[in-house]
Amino acid sequence: MAAKPGAATPTYSPKLVGRSRLPIFKDSDLDWTRPDGRGFHQCRPALLQTGAVSSASGSAYAEFGNTKVIVSVFGPRESKKAMTYSDVGRLNCNVSYTTFASSTLGQGTDHKEYSSMLHQALEGVIIMETFPKTTVDVFALVLESGGSDLSVLISCASLALADAGIMMYDLITAVSVSCIGKSLMIDPVTEEEGCEDGSFMMTCMPSRYEITQLTITGEWTTPNINEAMQLCLDACSKLGEIMRDCLKQSTSASDE
Amino acid sequence: MVGISLGEQHFIKGGIAQDLRTDGRKRLTYRPIYVETGVIAHANGSARVKIGGTDVIASVKAEIGRPSSLQPDKGKVAVFIDCSPTAEPTFGGRGGEELSSELALALQRCLLGGKSGAGAGINLSSLLIKEGKVCWDLYIDGLVISSDGNLLDALGAAIKAALTNTAIPKVNVSAEMADDEQPEIDISDEEYLQFDTSSVPVIVTLTKVGTHYIVDATAEEESQMSSAVSISVNRVGHICGLTKRGGSGLDPSVILDMISVAKHVTETLMNKLDSDISAAEAREEES
Amino acid sequence: MEYVNPEGLRLDGRRFNEMRQIVAEIGVVSKADGSAVFEMGNTKVIAAVYGPREIQNKSLQKNNDHALVLCEYSMAHFSTGDRRRQKNDRRSTELSLVIRQTMEACILTELMPHSQIDIFLQVLQADGGTRSACINAATLALADAGIPMRDLAVSCSAGYLNSTPLLDLNYVEDSAGGADVTVGVLPKLDKVTLLQMDAKLPMETFETVFALATEGCKAIAERIREVLEENTKQLEYRRAA
Repeated sequence: MAAKPGAATPTYSPKLVGRSRLPIFKDSDLDWTRPDGRGFHQCRPALLQTGAVSSASGSAYAEFGNTKVIVSVFGPRESKKAMTYSDVGRLNCNVSYTTFASSTLGQGTDHKEYSSMLHQALEGVIIMETFPKTTVDVFALVLESGGSDLSVLISCASLALADAGIMMYDLITAVSVSCIGKSLMIDPVTEEEGCEDGSFMMTCMPSRYEITQLTITGEWTTPNINEAMQLCLDACSKLGEIMRDCLKQSTSASDE
Repeated sequence: MVGISLGEQHFIKGGIAQDLRTDGRKRLTYRPIYVETGVIAHANGSARVKIGGTDVIASVKAEIGRPSSLQPDKGKVAVFIDCSPTAEPTFGGRGGEELSSELALALQRCLLGGKSGAGAGINLSSLLIKEGKVCWDLYIDGLVISSDGNLLDALGAAIKAALTNTAIPKVNVSAEMADDEQPEIDISDEEYLQFDTSSVPVIVTLTKVGTHYIVDATAEEESQMSSAVSISVNRVGHICGLTKRGGSGLDPSVILDMISVAKHVTETLMNKLDSDISAAEAREEES
Repeated sequence: MEYVNPEGLRLDGRRFNEMRQIVAEIGVVSKADGSAVFEMGNTKVIAAVYGPREIQNKSLQKNNDHALVLCEYSMAHFSTGDRRRQKNDRRSTELSLVIRQTMEACILTELMPHSQIDIFLQVLQADGGTRSACINAATLALADAGIPMRDLAVSCSAGYLNSTPLLDLNYVEDSAGGADVTVGVLPKLDKVTLLQMDAKLPMETFETVFALATEGCKAIAERIREVLEENTKQLEYRRAA
């Protein structure tokens, strides 16, 4: 476990710096107060740890406010006999929720597609040619669902893959933004997601400044999308820094 | 299916770079679109759309149901897509399930808007009969018969046409019952309500091949793509949904550029679709 | 319930030996090697044939000298009145098997060893007689794909309600609980390839109903032949022009 005792958990709130024109959504336009008292552009503190599951090739645990996720990576290991030969590696993702993850028992069908969305986010960033004929399995378990589940899952999975030593083009980070009325708020919690007018989830590679996955629902105008994108890119690069620190700490801890 | 040789790949990419695709189209031109409504007799609304070699059928069925406890003042809409093995032998058995669920998810995202229902293409409140007790459940089923690329656009157009063709029977709620009993409803056979589809968006998929984007890719061109962005734009010019597919990363400025190109293409596409749909309905009424 | 009124007219106005209207078209799925749409009244089926092509799953191959014929039958969610279609339910599996056996009997499989022929059937609208419509559509699709066959396999159904044998039952008449006999024949060779019946019938009645269904098959065979000839004329015209 890599977290130093006593260190404050870092957060990755973005700042719209260097913009000559004012952002469209001011904090003063409050038709919504956030349940945990954050500002609209304030993210939850991010706690990330690697090495949570000792029997896996790599694993990571992420706690963003009330959203707690653990991801373990197995592989590269031999593909099942049934699968045909392939000269690039294969990726297999599975996302499951514990029964106590959300306040209502037996959540809806939203979560069935998280496996395929996680797969889509990761397949663009892993260098599959480095492990031909084998499979990398990514198993994600959501211990508590407190909002922005998919974003936390993607960031945590990328950390686990790095911990397992799978070659990737870059770390990927994901941030989501919710639009309620006229306000944009970053890193929404479950209550905000339940009554949002639109959602914007972006996965990007911070060092390469490229977006690998983008999902928008609800009605958006182009200036809104612009602003949301800027917010997310800034937050993603800050989250990338936090993830790198976490990995450095874990390697220096294992060196000691 | 036979693979594409290296020479063919260069030909496709080079043609796109020079604004002349393999079938002679420009980068932002659609293949001829053919719309036919009323193809399924016992559905409330149905349509068949052919874009080049891609052939899809959409049907809308309305059934009486109970609104969910989380949103008692709205009806429910469910989208299911089925990829028939006639389109592609690999869709047989369980092969087409992954593609079907991906398409269904993207369509649901475009049609239903945010969780609160804002920006939805379909007005869910219009499906309500009695608050908390009775509402219409709309089941939208899409079937892909023949696939030659650009399935999402064709399905989006088919669903729009099917919704325009949908007639929901008028319901009379009989005398007020006590709160916990199901009210009696009388579904009339004669009067029908036409569905209001002016806010149903149209989906445009932009496929990035090399450094250029094309609209309405054929299956060959899709095999060469680095990534594709499907943008759904409604009549007012607002984005109703966006999904990025494909592994490679895109610069944010590229995405913003794609959004503006999509808006530009949507204007012409929306008008063309509307005129095609009304022509199809006129043909259906004559026959 | 009265399925045949005293004047001899059925619920949809047909006489006892009248078939529903047939509409058939070839070449609807551009990607397939052969395809066809076949409509009998309100029952509408699309058939697509892919093949002969390389065997995909070697474990299914039993006999090296013959082509492997695979068939899959699926119904669209909106095909029946209430939307309840589960994929891979027992009826679909049974029908896939039945149609596969019928088509295998009429394809000259020994001419195409080490290969696989896939027949996919998609039901768009089901209103009784889907089995027969599928076999007829598959025959047209196989002819469109140029696969050598012994003869055109055609099929028709007949039933017995209100003491009258009735040709080509629709869904309402089929669910009435009377007997339903489906016959598949090779018309020129005058052989029966498929014979199925639900419920029970006395022997003489069965022979009458069977004869009626066979007559229906011959009429369908005529129609299919016309469609194929028309298609060939079109191809010839386009080639000459």
